[in-house]
Amino acid sequence: MKLSDLLGLALSRLGTGKLRTALTMLGIIIGVASVVALVSVAQGATSGINSRLESLGTNLLTVNAGGSVSGATRGAFGSATTLTLDDATAISKLAGVAGVAPELSTSALVVAGSENETTTVIGTGPDYPLVFAYEIWQGSFLNQASLDNDLRVAVLGATTADDLDLGVSAIGTDITIEGYPFRVIGILQAKGGTGFQSPDDEVLIPLSTARTLFVGTTSVRSVGVSVASAKQMETVKSEITTLLEQRHDIATGGTDDFTIADQSQLLSTTSSVSTLLTVLLAGIASISLIVGGIGIMNIMLVSVRERTREIGIRKAIGARGRDVLLQFLIEALVLSLAGGLVGIVVGVAISVMIALLAGWAIAFNPLTIAVPVIFSLLIGIVFGVWPASQAARLDPVVALSYE
Amino acid sequence: MSALALPETSNPALAPTEDPIIVLQEVSRVYDTGRVVVPALVGVDLTVPRGDFLAIIGPSGSGKSTMMHVLGCLDRPTSGRYVLDGTPVDELDDDALAALRSRSIGFVFQSYNLLPRTSALENVAAPLAYQGVGHRERTVRAKAMLDRLGLGERLDHEPTELSGGQQQRVGIARALVTEPALLLADEPTGNLDSHAGAEVIDLFHELHDAGRTIVLITHDPDVAAVADRQIHIRDGRISV
Repeated sequence: MKLSDLLGLALSRLGTGKLRTALTMLGIIIGVASVVALVSVAQGATSGINSRLESLGTNLLTVNAGGSVSGATRGAFGSATTLTLDDATAISKLAGVAGVAPELSTSALVVAGSENETTTVIGTGPDYPLVFAYEIWQGSFLNQASLDNDLRVAVLGATTADDLDLGVSAIGTDITIEGYPFRVIGILQAKGGTGFQSPDDEVLIPLSTARTLFVGTTSVRSVGVSVASAKQMETVKSEITTLLEQRHDIATGGTDDFTIADQSQLLSTTSSVSTLLTVLLAGIASISLIVGGIGIMNIMLVSVRERTREIGIRKAIGARGRDVLLQFLIEALVLSLAGGLVGIVVGVAISVMIALLAGWAIAFNPLTIAVPVIFSLLIGIVFGVWPASQAARLDPVVALSYE
Repeated sequence: MSALALPETSNPALAPTEDPIIVLQEVSRVYDTGRVVVPALVGVDLTVPRGDFLAIIGPSGSGKSTMMHVLGCLDRPTSGRYVLDGTPVDELDDDALAALRSRSIGFVFQSYNLLPRTSALENVAAPLAYQGVGHRERTVRAKAMLDRLGLGERLDHEPTELSGGQQQRVGIARALVTEPALLLADEPTGNLDSHAGAEVIDLFHELHDAGRTIVLITHDPDVAAVADRQIHIRDGRISV
């Protein structure tokens, strides 16, 4: 019998028992839908975290001031005042360092026309966009001259500009920070990312200006260091450690008053955790797929039993074992594949709902779709072969006299 | 046990013919259940020439069903030789047997054995599908066969929507659609009222007149009487 005829046979058979067909497919639908939904949510979370981490800057080392120590009491992280602007300048002269962005930050009230907002004001230098991977959307960034001359100029983060109702025309206009007038010279491109501590909600002013007007000290909280290439990360990290230990008179092996955070380490840790999460979720969901497959096998076995006489008739009128085998196998395959396709639609719908309701990012890649389809086909074959071969092996005499 | 050992020459079942459609030589079929050994056919010799209309008569338990299964290539003899339409059956595997059934035999069953939830047209087209005939051609041939048997108006009806006589005519159409060398009918009138039964018998006469070879298996001497030739089967042995 031709394959197209066998397919027609399977489809018409499944069409005559719609309720049973639907219930049998339900197991596969639930299995595939949960694989698709869980994996896409997990991958969405992963890519969200990764892009957030990458948006902090690539090849980034962050030198943070340590806690101040007075007597036996260690102060809060960043409370030490030993990390200074001069340290940053010294680091910038090391080989392999592409840029250095010291940060002095404070919280301040920013007023533009009738809008006002309390936000993070960061004093920094011209390397800041390079180090932290920002793009300039409008205008220009702080230059060396603005630092040298303590100019009162500001560059706004995208969210801040939005909140203050400042657009393209805002370049060249004035805002006030804690009452001091500043001229807006640029607006940054949005990085995205939402929630707590958005990277787009900040105002950048020259480091020297920030020190004079708001902070009044030469120490900085942190220094971002952009390394020229990923290979040099380790070398540069140890060079900075040696350099700062020398400058701060700390013996090698002594307690440092600074820490160096490595972006790439954080990234690889996060991605391995989220890969584990994805595999785990997919594994749990796969169990329901297998249960669905057993459901198909169960129904196919019942079906072979019920249709024993039909099988006998088919054999009497010329069906070979192969024809009967394929007839039942194709039925199982159609069941599992149709269940798989419906499951994908349901799974995508569920993921989109989760994304909308919980505000989580979701990600679909072709694999998320292709793997469950192939998997459900495999399930159809694995769990369909046994009932089908039972049907094919039936003795026509016995089958014909089966009541 | 009445073992009638007639001299071979006087046995019309062994009448020599040229190119016979069925040749059984010393065919036995023994069921071995492990505890009991049941001989269903014992040393059967039978030759059926082309164009013959033969009735095999026997009470239930006589080995008549086994005879039908062996003749129909649904079962193999335990020993002996069976040549159907020039092909020695005992040398064939299951698939080759299925191909031989498909090519050479048309079955007509007592309980019709139509495929459930399948239209008359598709029932008749099914044997052609197993021969690999394309959809268009088998529809044309099945439709023509149903037309010839007066069921041209019932093409889309499923078995449950047809009377017994109509179902049996669909069954006969299905048996004939492949133009088989042998029409093998097992109690074809057994489930029919006398009117419908007579119609089926008339149909068999027509087919025989048209040159078909028919083997009719029945327990009913009145039905067997319509055949040209009758042989009796009892306790697995045949006699005239």
